[in-house]
Amino acid sequence: MGGANIPLEEHRIVKKPYYLAQGSEVEIACAAYRSGLPLLLKGPTGCGKTRFMQYLAWKLDRPLITVSCHDDLSTSDLVGRYLIRAGEAVWMDGPLTLAVRAGAICYLDEVVEARKDTTVVIHPLADDRRELPIEKRGELLIAPPEFMLAVSYNPGYQSVLKDLKPSTRQRFVALSFNYPELEQEVDIVCQEGGLERDVALSLVKLAIMTRNLKDSGLPEGASTRLLIQAGKLIGDGVDIQTACRVAVVEPLSDDPEMLAAVEDMVGSLF
Amino acid sequence: MNFPALNKQFYHLVAPDIPNDWEVEELLEPYLDQSDEVCQEVFKCIPAIWPISTSLCCDFLRIIPETLKILPLSQLSSWVGEILDRYELDGLRAAQRFMRDVESGYMNRSNAGLVLLGEVEGRLLTFIRGVAGRDLLIAPGNAVFTDTETIFLPPELAVFSASADNILLYKLILAFQWAYIANGTFTLPDPIAQEPMVDSESSLWLNTFFASFPQPLFARDCYFFLETVRAARFLEQALPGLMRAWAKLPCFILPGAEDKNISPQAAVLSDLQSRFLNGSLLEAWQEEHLPVLRDYWRRLLGEGVNGKDSVEAVKAICAAQASHEAEGEEYEGITPLLFQGEIRLSAVEAVHRQRFLRQGEELVHSLALHLASLPKEQLEQLLRSEEEKENGATGLESDVTMIMDSEFAGTAAEPQAPLLITINNEEVQLSEEVAEQVRQFHDEFGHLPGRFLSSAVGRAGEGLAPDAHPGPEQGGELQAPICYDEWDHRRKGFRKNWCVVTIKELPDLRSGFIRQTLSKYHGVVNRLRHQFEMMRTSDRFARRQRDGDDIDLDALVESLADGRAGLPSSDRLFIKLLRDERDIAVVFLIDMSNSTAGWVGNAIKESLVLMTEALEVLGDRYAIYGFSGMRRTRCELFHIKEFDEPYGEPVRERIGAISPMEYTRMGPAIRHATSLLAKTDARVRLLITLTDGKPEDYDDYKGEYAIEDTRHALLEAKMAGIHPFCITIDHQAHDYMDHLYGPVNYIFVNDVRKLPLRMPEIYRVLTS
Ligand SMILES: Nc1ncnc2c1ncn2[C@@H]1O[C@H](COP(=O)(O)OP(=O)(O)OP(=O)(O)O)[C@@H](O)[C@H]1O
Ligand SMILES: [Mg+2]
Repeated sequence: MGGANIPLEEHRIVKKPYYLAQGSEVEIACAAYRSGLPLLLKGPTGCGKTRFMQYLAWKLDRPLITVSCHDDLSTSDLVGRYLIRAGEAVWMDGPLTLAVRAGAICYLDEVVEARKDTTVVIHPLADDRRELPIEKRGELLIAPPEFMLAVSYNPGYQSVLKDLKPSTRQRFVALSFNYPELEQEVDIVCQEGGLERDVALSLVKLAIMTRNLKDSGLPEGASTRLLIQAGKLIGDGVDIQTACRVAVVEPLSDDPEMLAAVEDMVGSLF
Repeated sequence: MNFPALNKQFYHLVAPDIPNDWEVEELLEPYLDQSDEVCQEVFKCIPAIWPISTSLCCDFLRIIPETLKILPLSQLSSWVGEILDRYELDGLRAAQRFMRDVESGYMNRSNAGLVLLGEVEGRLLTFIRGVAGRDLLIAPGNAVFTDTETIFLPPELAVFSASADNILLYKLILAFQWAYIANGTFTLPDPIAQEPMVDSESSLWLNTFFASFPQPLFARDCYFFLETVRAARFLEQALPGLMRAWAKLPCFILPGAEDKNISPQAAVLSDLQSRFLNGSLLEAWQEEHLPVLRDYWRRLLGEGVNGKDSVEAVKAICAAQASHEAEGEEYEGITPLLFQGEIRLSAVEAVHRQRFLRQGEELVHSLALHLASLPKEQLEQLLRSEEEKENGATGLESDVTMIMDSEFAGTAAEPQAPLLITINNEEVQLSEEVAEQVRQFHDEFGHLPGRFLSSAVGRAGEGLAPDAHPGPEQGGELQAPICYDEWDHRRKGFRKNWCVVTIKELPDLRSGFIRQTLSKYHGVVNRLRHQFEMMRTSDRFARRQRDGDDIDLDALVESLADGRAGLPSSDRLFIKLLRDERDIAVVFLIDMSNSTAGWVGNAIKESLVLMTEALEVLGDRYAIYGFSGMRRTRCELFHIKEFDEPYGEPVRERIGAISPMEYTRMGPAIRHATSLLAKTDARVRLLITLTDGKPEDYDDYKGEYAIEDTRHALLEAKMAGIHPFCITIDHQAHDYMDHLYGPVNYIFVNDVRKLPLRMPEIYRVLTS
């Protein structure tokens, strides 16, 4: 107990992550940090939410503890539980408790996936009390000023099914993420995918075309992440058409007609 | 097959039409000798042809026995598809001709490389929508052209011997037509005047421009050619891959320039065309005459040109040609390049007019809804000033001013700026949604006619029912009407706020129905209760787990004791909370259209009684609504049970009061149920529809339109994480059910008497 510092060092980000700001999100997040306010990041998949958190953690020089939420995530998984070791009950902090104790940033990825009763434990942490009751130990942790809570969710899919409760929602400073502007996205794809500018530009144009298909049966178009992955394959010598097919076209859909149409776009662009 | 069976099936397929006995007999006679398989395959085509043209369908039935000697049965449906395409395109005669000519017209045509539009349409549509970033449509046509909303394509292409090349040609056509639209080729405004095209009546400026030349046709073709070169340049940048593939195509068809007797103007244009196709256009013109054109090409390759430059160049070409006008033949036009197609300004104008009317209507509708939601005094004030206006001499239209918050004008924030509207000096704040709609309208058409506001105010005053017909007398409305969009498959888009849904109370009606039903099914109810009780689960703690939420003290003590005693101690020391409880919410939508009168309606009611009894035991959350109505302005949902309402006498009475009403507009009912379910936090959400047939309303909500809207509403439900399921009471399965619900999501109950027993069973299977 208390010796939580050692594993935490792994969560510290030492090298500056590459992040291209899309607006004033960095300044806003820093301001929220100074005021002890939690962050809600929303946006489609692969548009830079996780990367942004890494950058922020680096900039604020705090460890970043990420929890990917799923629908079996229980309160104990977040807060902690007793384990039995050598015939003794030993308390183990969960990632959230760990972060609070150490004044780290705790990032709950895809928070809507978590069960409603689990989401509720973050409520006292996410308002001006900034405290975490650990019921099983009868302990009340007060978060130090360095602690920050951030959650993310993707309003694009399942939004109605798993919407955040207003009482959860209305505790956060919300930053809305979207795919970057064309020029910026080209920069990102160049940088991360290690590509020539003109190839990166065509990849981004392809992505924009697929994002136009919202009403034609493709709820989410190609993300920046997919473009970067295609870029990496191209960098490794895979020819452009093939790279686009395996890294952009196929991951998008299983519908043959949709696949043919997106392939047509690839063929028309390159 | 025997005659009575055939006869019966036939009448069923063409219902509600009732053709003459003797005619039917004559039609069906030849089928008595045919195998069952043939009859079934042929009969399957009837529902596709009959509603489109009865006489075509009769012809079809007459001709089939002969035709099947040549045509393999497996190709029947694709052949029928082509017949219908012909019909749609060129009318009955052409379809009949094609049908008779099965041998040379269908079987023996040269199939090398042939691509049918119907086979690649979906792919092409998705392609062009993605590329263009707008909701274009494609359709088969006699000529290639676009009206800026739809791109018309040849129904088939066999220009090249490889089908891949023909598909490429389709894409090329699409790309060029899109380029014209994106570059504003058809909608170029008067370069001198400031105002864009303002009203539904005004015509395109290009018409005026072409008409100002002694040879308007030549001016038009010059303009269109220059715009095509510009489009090609645009596409080289936007779709370089496509343009490269085009350059690699075997050899592109040049329109016939063999005719030596053509006019000098046509000679000039054909020369330009061929140079364009072989790629020598831009160099060759460097030294030749016409400085304007030379400048045009230079700028085309450099900083780019726009429509106004094309207009100037046309003027120059026409002036240079003026000297030749006296000599030679009259200019009669040249064959356009295949991908270029035709320029049809009248079609563009028609679309523009339609859009103006349609969007105007939608706008008036939303405005009226918005105004009706204003505080009563404000609305009354508006109505009063509107009336004064009408009686006054100042003209009939309202004065409208839009205040697009000027603070933000010209900045990036402008599109989000709030919008105020003043109607006859009365300020009205618009909701964001309506403001957006107003803004879009304004952007597209340049202004917002005051008469729109007048009619919106008027409609809001009438209690917001644009063309409502008073419904039959029933209980009152429960809450304010709610609007839902409707899907229009023809333009692959929503009609905004199209349907007005009102929640109504069923008329108070005491009946012994429930009591009778319960005693009739006494044994069944008890059995059902028992069955459903077994399905009930709740939170439970599982002890002695390897990991879990808490320590299992009993196990721990035991394990410690074991350890002390030198026994191997267990590591199963935890309690885990298992959450396999039923967390289900379900909405039942009950078809209350007039077709359910009689047996069907009674069976539905009985099923509901049994179902609710079972659900009460189970503890699943459920709501029940009946639906019916007439026209989009009066879609009615009848409240039978809400989610949180306890099951008691009032609910039972309401089930008893369910009775056949009017029509079946399914879309809005499904959308409302979806929104109800979306508000629950249940893990599993079910939408069960109980109906006796097709969606259909009094107006044009029929056939494909109705099915596609219903299907779309179901898709929306699925996207919201809801599982739709349909129980249909009908004699036989229909193709459209697969299309609507997907193969496993519906069930047929062909014997209505079995429904009350089947329904709880279906539910049980669905949810366990
Ligand atoms: N603004 C940006 N600056 C730098 N890189 C970016 C930016 N946006 C996206 N990326 C790149 O895109 C990749 C995907 O982004 P990231 O993993 O942050 O997505 P995400 O929003 O967290 O997606 P998901 O919701 O699927 O988890 C990153 O690895 C990064 O390379
Ligand atoms: Mg992420």
